[in-house]
Amino acid sequence: MAAEGPPPPVDLRDPAVFAQGIPHDLFAELRATPGLHWSPQHDGDRGFWSVTRLAEVVEVSRDPATYSSEVGHIQMYDIEEDCLAARASMIDLDPPVHTRLRRLVSSAFTPRHVQGYREAIRRRVRATLDRLEVDGGGDWVDLVAAPIPIGVICDLMGVPEADHGYLIELSDHLVAGTSSEPLPADAYGNTTDLRLLPFNSPAASAMSAYADAHAARLRERPGDDLSSQLLAAEIDGEALSPEEFANFFRLMIFAGNETTRSAMSHLAMHARAFPDAFGAVAADRELLGALAEEIVRYSSPILYFRRTVTRATELGGTTLAAGDKVVMWYASANFDDAAFDAPLEFRVDRPPTPIHSAFGGGGAHFCLGASLARLELVELLDEMFDRGLELDHGTPTHVDSNFVNGIEHLPVTVTRSSDHRSTP
Amino acid sequence: MSEDVVRMQVNPETCIAGGQCELLAPDVFEIDDDEVIAVVQGDGRLDRKVALEVIDRCPSGAISIVEPDEAAGGG
Ligand code: HEM
Ligand code: SF4
Repeated sequence: MAAEGPPPPVDLRDPAVFAQGIPHDLFAELRATPGLHWSPQHDGDRGFWSVTRLAEVVEVSRDPATYSSEVGHIQMYDIEEDCLAARASMIDLDPPVHTRLRRLVSSAFTPRHVQGYREAIRRRVRATLDRLEVDGGGDWVDLVAAPIPIGVICDLMGVPEADHGYLIELSDHLVAGTSSEPLPADAYGNTTDLRLLPFNSPAASAMSAYADAHAARLRERPGDDLSSQLLAAEIDGEALSPEEFANFFRLMIFAGNETTRSAMSHLAMHARAFPDAFGAVAADRELLGALAEEIVRYSSPILYFRRTVTRATELGGTTLAAGDKVVMWYASANFDDAAFDAPLEFRVDRPPTPIHSAFGGGGAHFCLGASLARLELVELLDEMFDRGLELDHGTPTHVDSNFVNGIEHLPVTVTRSSDHRSTP
Repeated sequence: MSEDVVRMQVNPETCIAGGQCELLAPDVFEIDDDEVIAVVQGDGRLDRKVALEVIDRCPSGAISIVEPDEAAGGG
């Protein structure tokens, strides 16, 4: 074990630290101290270093040979060796295996390719906003932020509409695995040892069971969706095992859903908090992309991912030993004033680089769905501006988690600005 | 080659085929759907200013400028 650094002033494992969103003052303090902070050993883990500055998040992210996703676990708590393999999907694997898995699906997610989903996304956006407008408001998360991303990713994965609600529910429970009140071990009839399940959650086994049934359906009648493509794919002459397919499926559903929902939830709060930025974009839609990017940076839906050090190295002035854990706090790096001018200001005129790290710090694992997420946000914003929607909201309920910056409920009221009173 | 035009290359080991390069400089970069990486079109010449921006915006650091000695070596 390397020399210990100063401990952070609070225990960063405690979901309460994030109960009101990103603890900006705390992170600013951590960023300002040279070196890395050390959170000492604790019940569920052997201790970890906190990486809080953008430059170092990028350094770690781009060097998977030194900072592994496969050795150890990418969330904060440790899990035993035998469990890692059972739960592994591409996000917990290193190149070259990671590369082979990712290449099975990556061409569906390029900026050029996702343009093909634009119309379908827009239809989903319209349907959700219609429903919200009819009632003059409601829970923004339930009515808008949740259904759009799950609908889009389920379409891609060939999941029928009727099952979207069930998958939202399961994916919510996965996140609950990072909270202070996880599901009981036998929920959803689970009999699998929780250690073997992602997020240690019984909902993960329910999602795998769904994936198995989905695979069986698609083997009978393949479609032109990504699931069918995965089932037909071969790596070195071998098809994915049922377990590999289920892990892949679960990753896609979770990653494509929870994160984008969170950004869309924050979007509704940003609209009220930063009317000048939103007004500027309503008037000049060329700025939609910049606004979407700022929403993602500012909401930082995933607070962190962890890596395990594979060989002695140095990071930000701190010496690291093989086996050390480093936690990359994206939610801190995205407000690093060494990288972003006035980082707490919400701006649509930021230069295109440096890229924030809400989609990861770059390198092999950089968010596969980044272009899709950006497009979903752009379509939602564009439609809101077309309708002249004005949102007001009540008190948000934050997801209880040290891992995601999610919003569980957000009561909103909607009206149209005076020049948009007639239906479009 | 003029001072302001450079030649681009993509490291196939690190490219994640996210397609940012294709978006910014479609004449020079294309995602090869079979290889699932970005490939450089033709002689890969790009205005230095655009080149630096593409390099900055590639999330995996896979793009670089072909240095004159590499080019001479046939690379
Ligand atoms: C605003 C929305 C989103 C945010 C903030 C986000 C964030 C992230 C982050 C932080 C990572 C890890 C990066 C790393 O380890 O370097 C990641 C990976 C990933 N994301 Fe996203 N994501 C979003 C939307 C999506 C969508 C819509 C999809 C749909 C498919 C998706 C699929 C994935 C996958 C499959 C990975 C694993 C990639 C790999 O390991 O190679 N994400 N995302
Ligand atoms: S931007 Fe970089 S990682 Fe993305 S496709 Fe181009 S070269 Fe590959």
